[in-house]
Amino acid sequence: MNEIQIMLEDTVNRLFGDRLGWDQLTAIEEQGFPTALWAETVEQGINKVLADENAGGMGVGWADAYPVLRACGRHAVPLPVAEAIIAEWLARQAGASLPDGVPGLLPGTIAASALGASTLKLDGTRTPWGRNADFLVGVADTGAGPELIIASSQGLHVAAEDNIGRDPRDTLSGNAAILGRHALPLPADCIHWLGALARSAQIAGAGAAALDLALKYGAERSQFGKPLSGFQAIQHYLADLAGVVASVDAICMAACVGLDTRGMAVEGRNARFEIAAAKCRASEAVEKLTRLSHQVHGAIGFTYEYGLHFLTRRLWAWRAEFGGAGEWGEYLGRVAVEVGGDGIWPTITA
Amino acid sequence: MTSVADKLRFEPTALPASLETLRAEVRAFLKEALVDVPVVTRSHSWEAYDAEFSAKLGAKGWLGMTLPKAYGGHGRSALERYVVVEECLVAGAPTAFHWVADRQSGPLVVRYGTEEQKQTIVPAITAGKACFAIGMSEPNSGSDLASLRTRAERTPSGWKVNGTKIWTSNAHRANYMIALFRTDPDPNKKHAGLSQFIIDLSKTKGITPRPIQNLAGGRNFNEVAFVDAELPPDALLGTEGQGWRQVTEELAFERSGPERYLSCFFLLRKLIDVVKDKASPATLARLGSQVAWAATLRTMSLSIAAKLNAGQDPALEASVVKDLGCQFEQNLPGLAQELCELEPTLAGHGSEYQQVLGSLIQVAPSFSLRGGTPEIMRGIIAKGLGVR
Repeated sequence: MNEIQIMLEDTVNRLFGDRLGWDQLTAIEEQGFPTALWAETVEQGINKVLADENAGGMGVGWADAYPVLRACGRHAVPLPVAEAIIAEWLARQAGASLPDGVPGLLPGTIAASALGASTLKLDGTRTPWGRNADFLVGVADTGAGPELIIASSQGLHVAAEDNIGRDPRDTLSGNAAILGRHALPLPADCIHWLGALARSAQIAGAGAAALDLALKYGAERSQFGKPLSGFQAIQHYLADLAGVVASVDAICMAACVGLDTRGMAVEGRNARFEIAAAKCRASEAVEKLTRLSHQVHGAIGFTYEYGLHFLTRRLWAWRAEFGGAGEWGEYLGRVAVEVGGDGIWPTITA
Repeated sequence: MTSVADKLRFEPTALPASLETLRAEVRAFLKEALVDVPVVTRSHSWEAYDAEFSAKLGAKGWLGMTLPKAYGGHGRSALERYVVVEECLVAGAPTAFHWVADRQSGPLVVRYGTEEQKQTIVPAITAGKACFAIGMSEPNSGSDLASLRTRAERTPSGWKVNGTKIWTSNAHRANYMIALFRTDPDPNKKHAGLSQFIIDLSKTKGITPRPIQNLAGGRNFNEVAFVDAELPPDALLGTEGQGWRQVTEELAFERSGPERYLSCFFLLRKLIDVVKDKASPATLARLGSQVAWAATLRTMSLSIAAKLNAGQDPALEASVVKDLGCQFEQNLPGLAQELCELEPTLAGHGSEYQQVLGSLIQVAPSFSLRGGTPEIMRGIIAKGLGVR
């Protein structure tokens, strides 16, 4: 990692490491949005790592932002940090600036038919932290090119729901007042791809944290007169876990570097290949990450009191969000049959 | 606030443009050179023996690439060699003749050999004219290599060797063997009693290889009997008693390369073409998952090459990639059968795809046996994590 990456990761670790222990995570699940913690996150500029420097951001690229996203996964951060980072990057690409406050990132692509003269029609859009959003950000396929849409979150019908990680995933309906429309030099489906990349990074972080907990517990807990991690079967689980964590991390880093250097146009060999590979691998990896980390912990890991679940429940949720292994595998399968057997290696090495 | 994952980072590596030029040259060369090589031979790649092909590769300057020019090497980077190696594997080039020599014996001789050993042996390696065998495993010493018993005793004229090596690929046709023998029988010196030797197989009496047929009918590996085999004094490679340390370094070369995930890549290529026109979304998803694995392992493997190139020791990283890569390549033949329901066939029968499947599905069990088993790899990883 370069110096910026180390500095950013340290910042996130310091902020959330102290403030997101078992007590705090439980309190947030019971009491809702941690306004003070969000304010601190904003104060430290973590939501704006990818914003333009003139807009108070750090103006770095995805490779540098990756440790931030990963660390958010590691600390099971119950805030829309990944969503904010994506929204700020989109604004930077469009030359727009976002209002202050909590962003509601609209997944998927807004159809041209949903855009009125001054309103955006939402017809049941499942939006992370929709109930807490101060404004909405989405990308529309207008027919005349993709546009970044910034809209008000006022006056909408909010059907509140949490995912199994107990993070808000609310369904929004109604007419949202449009606050800004900006031509966007990115494909109209970009939020789906960026969301997939962000969730992959969070999976890498949460997986690493689950491994850390399993290592700690394996060293502390004794059975048959020796620590659990003295047993070969447990050592092999831990080694297997470590390899899977490292592999998800590796393809995520490659996807971020790819996005910075090749972009994500619809046609041609660009970072779509690595992003799809990252989410396919990350979603598949969740099975082993959760199964083995729980297995090493035994029954204690299955209790609410222990807290491994803050990570594993999010891993199960993130596995499906922005497309699971089936969707992304199918995309890569289509790439493979399109380029053919002779073309697959040149595609991988391009 | 550290995470154990910080110990295992596979940073992406950008190859300089000059390496892409080299890659294009290698691809063009292989396309022409492999036109007449049968498809089953190609599917075996680094286990397919073809002295003529190896000499051609040597003539191109693509063997011993990282070795010093003073000994006929090419003084090129580990990344340049990496590009040549991965292109050969994916193309299904028959590289078994030079594989061991280029991968580990050459670097080992350059590092530990005497001036005379280097002058005699390294130029033959870089020319693609020296085939090397690895004398490590014994009938009673497999994963527990340091328990080996084949004994080399000092004599007035050099060394006398008695014992048996096994699973020795190409011992019946190799020019040289680099072997690990016990030079000190003191039971308290399990590791310290070992030394490495370089044996000129054409000049040494008392060595008898007996081919062992594998389950698929192939005859690559051997049991090798040493009966009062006499070696000259300068057969010792490196320092007496330092064999374990030297062999550990040798294994690092053996375990860190792209062959640890690409053994079935030729099958993946064929599979893509077979399912092409009739793939359901579910089939495409399973195929795509393998593509995701391949892309992931490529970035990890290349990252290891970059670490080697920078003079670091990525032994832990290499164990991870060997463990994961083995799962990937071993899974492919079975997956291929599920995805297209075509019978695996023997060479000469069925389609090319069926023949490739038929040969690889039979040899796939060896992927998790050769070069260190997953159980050994996971032991090394566990040690790296501090739990062993």
